[in-house]
Amino acid sequence: MTEKANESRRNFLYLAAGGLGGVAAAATIVPFIGSMLPAADTLAASKTEYDVTTVAAGQLVVILWQGKPVFITNRTPELLKEVDGHDDMLKDKDSKAIPEVSQPWMNDPDRVKYRSIKPEYLVVSAICTHLGCIPGYKPTAGRKDWGDSVPADWPGGWHCPCHGSKYDISGRVINGSPAPFNLHALPYKYTSDTTVLIG
Amino acid sequence: MLNSMMKTKIFAWVDRRTDAGAIIKSQLTEYPAPKNLNYMWNFGSLALLVLVLQILTGVFLAMYYKPSAAVSYGQYTVAFDSVERIMRDVNFGWLIRYMHAVGASAFFVVVYMHIGRGLYYGSYKEPRELLWIIGVVILLIMQGAAFFGYLLPWGQMSFWGATVITNLFGALPVIGEYLQQLLRGGFAVGDPTLNRFFSLHYLFPLLLAAIVGGHIHALHVVHSNNPEGIDLTKEEEKIMFHPYYTVKDAFGVGVFLLFYCYFVFFNPHAWGYFIEVDNYVPANALSTPPHIAPVWYLTPWYTILRSFPDKLVGVLAMGGSLAILFALPFLDRSKVRSARYRPVFKQMVILFFIDVIVLGYCGHEPPTPVLKLVGQVATAYYFAFFFLLLIVPKFEKTKPVPEGI
Repeated sequence: MTEKANESRRNFLYLAAGGLGGVAAAATIVPFIGSMLPAADTLAASKTEYDVTTVAAGQLVVILWQGKPVFITNRTPELLKEVDGHDDMLKDKDSKAIPEVSQPWMNDPDRVKYRSIKPEYLVVSAICTHLGCIPGYKPTAGRKDWGDSVPADWPGGWHCPCHGSKYDISGRVINGSPAPFNLHALPYKYTSDTTVLIG
Repeated sequence: MLNSMMKTKIFAWVDRRTDAGAIIKSQLTEYPAPKNLNYMWNFGSLALLVLVLQILTGVFLAMYYKPSAAVSYGQYTVAFDSVERIMRDVNFGWLIRYMHAVGASAFFVVVYMHIGRGLYYGSYKEPRELLWIIGVVILLIMQGAAFFGYLLPWGQMSFWGATVITNLFGALPVIGEYLQQLLRGGFAVGDPTLNRFFSLHYLFPLLLAAIVGGHIHALHVVHSNNPEGIDLTKEEEKIMFHPYYTVKDAFGVGVFLLFYCYFVFFNPHAWGYFIEVDNYVPANALSTPPHIAPVWYLTPWYTILRSFPDKLVGVLAMGGSLAILFALPFLDRSKVRSARYRPVFKQMVILFFIDVIVLGYCGHEPPTPVLKLVGQVATAYYFAFFFLLLIVPKFEKTKPVPEGI
């Protein structure tokens, strides 16, 4: 065997063995990283059922869905009226800015405005889109119930205790808030007249 | 590849601050190793590989394992359920757990081969006595780590194995009961025991990693023994560790992984040798399984324990059978290292290997009268081997060792 043939054969074997070894080592990373992702039982817990009739008129209930807080409110006719009349104060009145603030079920103007399937029951993410706190519920309009913690033209809705972000009674962010987006809309449906299934 | 890497600017920057180049040279590229090492010398690097695999898989298992004996929703325990959750729900959890369980057995396979190699070729003799002694410390810590780990699934074998072993310490006079409570954190194996065993199971591999570093350092001071067991004085008898033995070790890793992957993917229980079937029954403090035996790598010592009719003597004999390994370099005074040139020692050491396998078999099986007798004979030879080494050099006619290789 000549010295030159020997060299190229060696280099080939060296690269082939080393390359395949490298591929195998890289493939080994997959199960280890994979194991850190949510486990099957965690994913199975990704749906939450809730009976909305347990929410009294005007009441706010916070429940957990996938470990994250969700607002469910039973909006009285008076609260539903607060949805209108302040469109000029909203950053994104039609929930179009990013995909997360709308859902396929928002398929007519009323559902876009009320951001709910049945107008009275609002089911919406309770995570402030600024830095993740849960905003406080200040449903009535004006300063009557809230003093000067809210602006004079307060339309009623949520006011975040962390950095002062404000949302209206449909969870739409109000101008001047540090929060960039409306509260995220959730993928839910009614499985019966009174039961919603989130997820 | 190493050479071209060492020529880069980044390496030069690191080198000026750490002297990395000198370390690589003295430990790898200019570290001389005997040119006649056979495949028995692969098991050291394999042991290091398995240690790394065990630490890696263990860290990921600890992300999901919960060391609690509290009763869970399904009337099992939190610990047992968390292991089953790893098996069923965690992505690749089955793979990582089987890698860890098979890895425990694989660790002992390669380490026992490594120790057998050292025995056969006289690697424990001057100047490598301390290297051997550090190795025995590693073995003891490994056995401790394996024992602690075996409790964690909180199955029947976990529970009763830990009960039996902690009772061993109770056999000691005066301090026995105190020591037992110290280990268990209670009057029986229970939730506090599980918590501390998990803590120690995480600690021991860290100790191992440090002591393995010391083992390798000691090796690189006195250098490798070789199959001829002679001191190598001439330069042409040696080759550089890198690339020659890095490549040979890499080949050994490939062969090892074939076997390892066979067991991990196709036979993780290894017919009940690696994972005992009874351990899938949740721990029950009210009922002992009909047949209880440790995992295979501890059975030789278990046989020594039960070969003695007196509890205390049995416990001391078992401790002594491990402790005597520390004394080995000083018991065997023969100037010739390798069994190749020691006809009497060669037969003794091969019989010793068979003896340990027989001890292991006896410890794994239920104790019938015949097996008990076999175990007692094997125990007698186990100790006789070490004490015969004191007198063998006085009459053994060794063959002439070669001048060089």
